[in-house]
Amino acid sequence: MRLSRNSVIDSGNEPSVSPAGAARKLHLHQKSGHYQGLFRAMGSPCELLVDTDDETSASKLLEIVAAEAWRIEDKFSRYLPDNIVARINDSDGQPVAVDDETANLLDFAETLYELSERRFDISSGALRKAWTFDGSDRVPTAHDIENAVATVGWHKLSWRRPEICLQPGMQIDLGGIGKEYAVDKAAGMVANEAPCSCLVNFGGDLVATGERQSSESWQVGIEAPGSSAVTAQKLIHLKTGALATSGDSRRYLLKDGKRYSHILDPLTGWPIENAPRSITVAADTCTQAGMLATLAMLSGADAEEFLAHQNIRFWCLR
Amino acid sequence: MAKKNSKTISVSLATATCSLLGTSVTTPVQAQEEPGWDFNTALLYYGESDDRVQDVSLNILGRRTYVDDRFLTLGLVLDSLTGATPGGALPFSSPQTFTSPSGLAVYTTPADVFPLDDTFLDTRFALSASWQQPLSRLFTMNAGLTASKEYDYLHLGANFKLARDFNKRNTTVSLGLAFANDELDPEGGAPVPLSAMLDVGDLSNKTGDQSKDIVDVVLGVTNVASRNLLFQLNYSFSNASGYLNDPFKFLSVVDGTSGDPIARIPAPGAVGPLYEYRFENRPDERTKHSVFGQTKYYMDGKVLDLSYRYMTDDWEIDSHTIDARYRWPVGDSSYLEPHLRYYTQNAAEFYRISLVNGAPPVSFASSDYRLGDFDAITVGMKYGWKTRSGNEMSARLEYYMQDGDAPSDQIIGNQASRELYPGLDAIIAQFSYRFGK
Amino acid sequence: MRVKHQAAMALLIATVISGCSSMGVEPWERDVLAKEEMQLVTDPVEAGIDDHIYFSKEASSGGRGFGGGGCGCN
Repeated sequence: MRLSRNSVIDSGNEPSVSPAGAARKLHLHQKSGHYQGLFRAMGSPCELLVDTDDETSASKLLEIVAAEAWRIEDKFSRYLPDNIVARINDSDGQPVAVDDETANLLDFAETLYELSERRFDISSGALRKAWTFDGSDRVPTAHDIENAVATVGWHKLSWRRPEICLQPGMQIDLGGIGKEYAVDKAAGMVANEAPCSCLVNFGGDLVATGERQSSESWQVGIEAPGSSAVTAQKLIHLKTGALATSGDSRRYLLKDGKRYSHILDPLTGWPIENAPRSITVAADTCTQAGMLATLAMLSGADAEEFLAHQNIRFWCLR
Repeated sequence: MAKKNSKTISVSLATATCSLLGTSVTTPVQAQEEPGWDFNTALLYYGESDDRVQDVSLNILGRRTYVDDRFLTLGLVLDSLTGATPGGALPFSSPQTFTSPSGLAVYTTPADVFPLDDTFLDTRFALSASWQQPLSRLFTMNAGLTASKEYDYLHLGANFKLARDFNKRNTTVSLGLAFANDELDPEGGAPVPLSAMLDVGDLSNKTGDQSKDIVDVVLGVTNVASRNLLFQLNYSFSNASGYLNDPFKFLSVVDGTSGDPIARIPAPGAVGPLYEYRFENRPDERTKHSVFGQTKYYMDGKVLDLSYRYMTDDWEIDSHTIDARYRWPVGDSSYLEPHLRYYTQNAAEFYRISLVNGAPPVSFASSDYRLGDFDAITVGMKYGWKTRSGNEMSARLEYYMQDGDAPSDQIIGNQASRELYPGLDAIIAQFSYRFGK
Repeated sequence: MRVKHQAAMALLIATVISGCSSMGVEPWERDVLAKEEMQLVTDPVEAGIDDHIYFSKEASSGGRGFGGGGCGCN
């Protein structure tokens, strides 16, 4: 039986903006046995696969998913000038009251900060001012990094629900949680709306809901780091649950033969050393999968050992 | 990152995600990598000292993984056997002449040495296939077929096993059944049991082919005791019925006082044995019971594998086997594994070193050293390593030695001054290569 | 084997099974058990080779699995 590759995970998305209006188009294609909906959100190519032959319901589900993706992007993207994240980052030392959804994300970020022993830190946004991961050899100076690190640290801000108060110069960035959260939220809406099985895939972080009619699995390919061809290196059969990939196939710097991955250690300001080039994790929700992949990356050389302790399926490419 | 209590991370993350998303997940994730083939191959050399049995074999096992934990395993063994093996007669202070198993020639063995039959030369070809799959969340089944062919031997078998997990998959109970039918068609025909070894060309005491049926039942429990310790306990029952003799083995007929073989004169114009020999006879049924226990213990990278087996049967053979292996990592990608095995058995009830001329006839008698009273030790070392492409190779070298005694109440007269039990010592050398997806 | 021994064997296995419920690990503690060197049969080909050698040279066989054999080994 020839297996069709339903979905390809691209673990290196360009960190660009998809401003409202400009590229917000929906494309729907019929494939054998399912529909494929495509759009751009959160700087990534996004995909919805619907296990149905009914174009109307596929189209409706695509609208729901894209709407949720764009809503979350508009609300939490650090590239937009007037959303809640922008207000927090421009607050210049003043407390900002947030709504329930934002509060939930901040609570989650705090839990991750503790679980990761302070390595997963959403206040590390300021570090990005020092580092631009564009494949060039422009590595920042130690001075630049020191300056950036001074403004990083969850423990330096005050989060008491519903008020968050940053110190001047601090920046928060929900990029490490946002995409996986959006996948789970969109999948939840789709599951409520229709009984058919769907695969919600935002730039490589994906979840499958329900069980396919033919009780086959969705086939997902993981692109090998460094390759730009469509032939994926590993093929994963996903029946239900989520896959998330943390990787650096396009976001890195190369200087003097040393590869600097884009995962930064907020305690030092430097990239994590000896991290695998790509980690894909399977878990019940996309949020869990994404966080485990991120925590594993932050473990650097111990990534595989960390993941082996979690009793989940994972694939590390070095 | 320091090794946090893994339970805390998994559980905390699940709880935190629950709060974040406002829902709890009801279906756990099911994700599996695209399956493929993996292969396990080995080249074996087995060689006994003193020009006895030498065996070279090629073993290949291929396993194909299918989605949803289903496996197909195919095996192939190619085996080439040469060398001499004890025919069953006792040494004597003169050379002895025997008719070869085919009945078409004679061979002579020197004085004062255990007589060995060196006319063996055989090639064996064996195939196996098995299929494993889950039957439901906690049940797994396994079904297989085996077949092997030698010049004069055909084996066909089928097996089936059912296993069920308990206690969060910490305990597995399994029940297995196997059936086999073996057919033996020795060159010249199987001899009439306890008949005399005749001259060359005289096939009057040879009959046709023979067969036997074997039934095996295995009941087993595997249990995880802790994160680093697991053990297995099995009870096996085996029943073989039909032709259980070795058609090529015989006993010396000796004088009741001196213990020396009785002379014989071949028919005029014929060649044949110069002493009397009788072909062996074993009961046509054998029931065995075994108890087997194994434990594996992980200590900081090193693994100790210890097992014990007790076997008892209605031929009155009892045996004990203790096997110990200790795997010890060397560097990042290789290991050393010393191995020690101790085996002891006592003789079958009908084991005889010789038959006494003129004594009342016996129903069963065999001088096959493998049914005798002996101890055996295996000492070995294995070295394994991972190649750059992530495949595994290993080499092992072992020394196997058997040493036994004739039952003292069977030693007659001059036999006391002769070697009465052939013993064995052999080298086992194996090279393995495992590769695949 | 005498009936008494068979009954003792059955009792031993039953005791092991019931005793087993107090031992064991949680699913996330199976990392060591998943290692290849912790499998009960680490190398099935080597196990098959050894089973065949000892079946040919001794009066006992099997124990771990089926009786093995199926050859006219001398």
